[in-house]
Amino acid sequence: MRIIARFEKGEAVRFVSHLDIQRTFQRAFRRANIPLAYSQGFNPHPQLSFATALALGYTSEAEWFDVKLAEDMAPERFQEAVNAVLPTGFRILEAQAAEEKLPALTALMAASSHEVDFILPVSLSAESVISAFDAMAGGEIFVEKRTKGGMKTVDIRPMLLHYSFSQTADSLKLSVFGVSDAKGSLNIDLLLGALSDKIPGEFSYRVHKNTIYSLDGRVMPQKPVFAC
Amino acid sequence: MDFQLLDKILSSVEKPARYMGGELNMTEKKDAELRFALAFPDVYEIGMSHLGSRILYNVLNMREDTICERVYAPWPDMEKALRENDMPLFTLETKRVLKECDVIGFSLLYEMCYTNILTMLDLSGIPFRAAERGDDMPLIVCGGPCACNPEPLAPFADAFLLGDGEELISEFADAVLAAKRQGLSKQELLVILSKIEGIYVPSFYEPVYDDNGLFIRMERANDAVPEKISRRVLKDLEHAPYLGKPIVPYMSIVHDRIALELFRGCTRGCRFCQAGFIYRPIRERKRETVMEQARALIGCTGYDEVSLFSLSSGDYSEIHELVPEIIDEFEKKRVSISFPSLRIDSFLKDDLEKMQSVRKAGLTFAPEAGTQRLRDVINKGVSEEDLLRSAKDAFESGWNSVKLYFMIGLPTETEEDLLGIADLARKVSELFYSMPKEKRGKGLRLAVSASSFVPKPFTPFQWEPQDYKETLIEKQKFLRAALKGIRGVEFAYHAPDISVLEAVFARGDRRLADVMERAYQSGARFDSWDEHYKPEAWSEAFETVGIDPSQYANRRRVPGEALPWGHIDMLVTEDYLKLELKRAHAAKTTKDCRKGCNGCFGEKYADYCKI
Repeated sequence: MRIIARFEKGEAVRFVSHLDIQRTFQRAFRRANIPLAYSQGFNPHPQLSFATALALGYTSEAEWFDVKLAEDMAPERFQEAVNAVLPTGFRILEAQAAEEKLPALTALMAASSHEVDFILPVSLSAESVISAFDAMAGGEIFVEKRTKGGMKTVDIRPMLLHYSFSQTADSLKLSVFGVSDAKGSLNIDLLLGALSDKIPGEFSYRVHKNTIYSLDGRVMPQKPVFAC
Repeated sequence: MDFQLLDKILSSVEKPARYMGGELNMTEKKDAELRFALAFPDVYEIGMSHLGSRILYNVLNMREDTICERVYAPWPDMEKALRENDMPLFTLETKRVLKECDVIGFSLLYEMCYTNILTMLDLSGIPFRAAERGDDMPLIVCGGPCACNPEPLAPFADAFLLGDGEELISEFADAVLAAKRQGLSKQELLVILSKIEGIYVPSFYEPVYDDNGLFIRMERANDAVPEKISRRVLKDLEHAPYLGKPIVPYMSIVHDRIALELFRGCTRGCRFCQAGFIYRPIRERKRETVMEQARALIGCTGYDEVSLFSLSSGDYSEIHELVPEIIDEFEKKRVSISFPSLRIDSFLKDDLEKMQSVRKAGLTFAPEAGTQRLRDVINKGVSEEDLLRSAKDAFESGWNSVKLYFMIGLPTETEEDLLGIADLARKVSELFYSMPKEKRGKGLRLAVSASSFVPKPFTPFQWEPQDYKETLIEKQKFLRAALKGIRGVEFAYHAPDISVLEAVFARGDRRLADVMERAYQSGARFDSWDEHYKPEAWSEAFETVGIDPSQYANRRRVPGEALPWGHIDMLVTEDYLKLELKRAHAAKTTKDCRKGCNGCFGEKYADYCKI
């Protein structure tokens, strides 16, 4: 059977790399005695795939994997058994049985939302960051992107679907909706790198991924319509 | 700890998981009466692969009164980041700075890690020299195989723990705790420690040199400290604590699998091998115990690979029962099995085929020398026939990737011995290609590796000179040429510079501490890593201190001359080592002591060995 699950990558494990996460889940499945289905062939491996690779240092509550089991198991039991053995920082938030013919997770994805928490130096006001971002979003946003053919300059503005700032006395948060599908995703680090080039003074930030959306609401929530 | 700053640092360095902690099965303690930092002077992925410190981590954390936390040498990018941000080095568990620990215990696995000890102290604001550390500073202790010649590190350490650590570490912890409760001074504690069997307190001993700078004797500060410090032996391995619930790292480490220790010690007596002498006598775990540990460890880690760990796993008395049993029980869980190294005479085809049924890994054989004569000199009791038969078995079972380990620069080595290496490699290659295509794999990968011989203390070759660097380079070239054209061969060898430095420190005396400190100040770090090794830092340090490294590496010592490690007793007697040296030069072998006692412990420790 096929199970699709959404999990959280928390504070304690935000520097665990994508490859290491795959291994972490494989080991957790073995500890929990989950009957995994293995691929055929010379070097059999569990049939486990992830929707996206989260950037190192981000936290997330929208990580998805897709795994095949050799025997049927109730998704709730699967979730419970794996959560009982996962290391602190990882937690399965939902698990559902999926039809065999459902496309791969990457094919379902359409967009994602992130929340950015700015850590500003005293010299930099929240207002100046917001206005710089507004100005930047008013035109094209060119960034240097590493591709197979070397470094390339591309405009990522079309990938930015919607954004909004929220501000309190001691914090500045940015909520970003971006394209995220099989062809590529809005890269938050590149977006903020471009912003940083337009502002005097260095800021740092933390990123949390909130949601991955699908086009039609299958498996993942349906992508909202944006007016921008 | 400034966590926001730590965050920023971790975001900026390569592989932040090295410093992050929080892995599965890490101790949950936050604090305890005794704070023990288990320090490994190499990078995380190497340190976490070291079985001994993993055992000690469990033993110490089993104690309610103790918290044991890990700390590894920061990779140069992290060292730089820590310095730039003025942040001290910290433990992985609670991010405690080392100064706030009671004890820092360094594991000494390899001489070329020594400079990293200084990095770790330096980044903690702890003075290098024991004499300069007051009572407010942690106690610095060292243990592990390299502690058998403690002298090059003697000025830096307060004490050395010699031999098996399982019991000793607890006695040590008891003593430190008692002293802490009574408010004793460090000096008073050291006196107490010096009376525990297996603990060496170097400040109570003073080396004496002659006018030419040669070590001539060790003088004791007083009669209360033992003349000879003997290592500790864990007599009952079967009931000794093992790994408990071991930490499962997130990032991949060098030995990323469950180690099942089959036995400690080795009965072979290869004359170059320090481990073969300093871990005697042989002590086996029962097969049932190993299986029980396998079940528990797979269950609490989720690893998909177990490794049969020992100095010579093929010699395990129940090996042909154990391998099939592990495979039968764990195959359905897709757990595979691997050997860290194989002796070519001890392995059977059936087992190979069973191993094959789970996963195909590379196979490693270590003939060590190219001719029978030289293998007799080093007492590596294997023959060409053994190797070819094992290789044939392996090829027939579908293996096509084989590693052959050799050493160059062994005592009495001639050109013929080097040609013998190429000859063996050729025979293995021809054997593979002479087999019908349907009976073997496609292409052969025959990795021939030649490391440079390093004479080590407490081996019969402890008196032998190492080849000069130039000679080693010549030999490498010669061998490379001889291996040319053999199908499937890939030749690998070590940088001779590093082997020479290793030889210096392996048999060094206390004056080398000055050299080390000097080299550290000029940037020496991670000396065993080619990309970090700084030859100028070392040559300049030797020159400034006025020490000729070849005196240590390339000089033949006369049996009977005072040795800087002479006050350390690793149980095998010097008389036995002398006898073995004599036999080596006569190319006479000594039998495996499973076949009868060779008397290596002499009278004094005869009852330590049950064989």
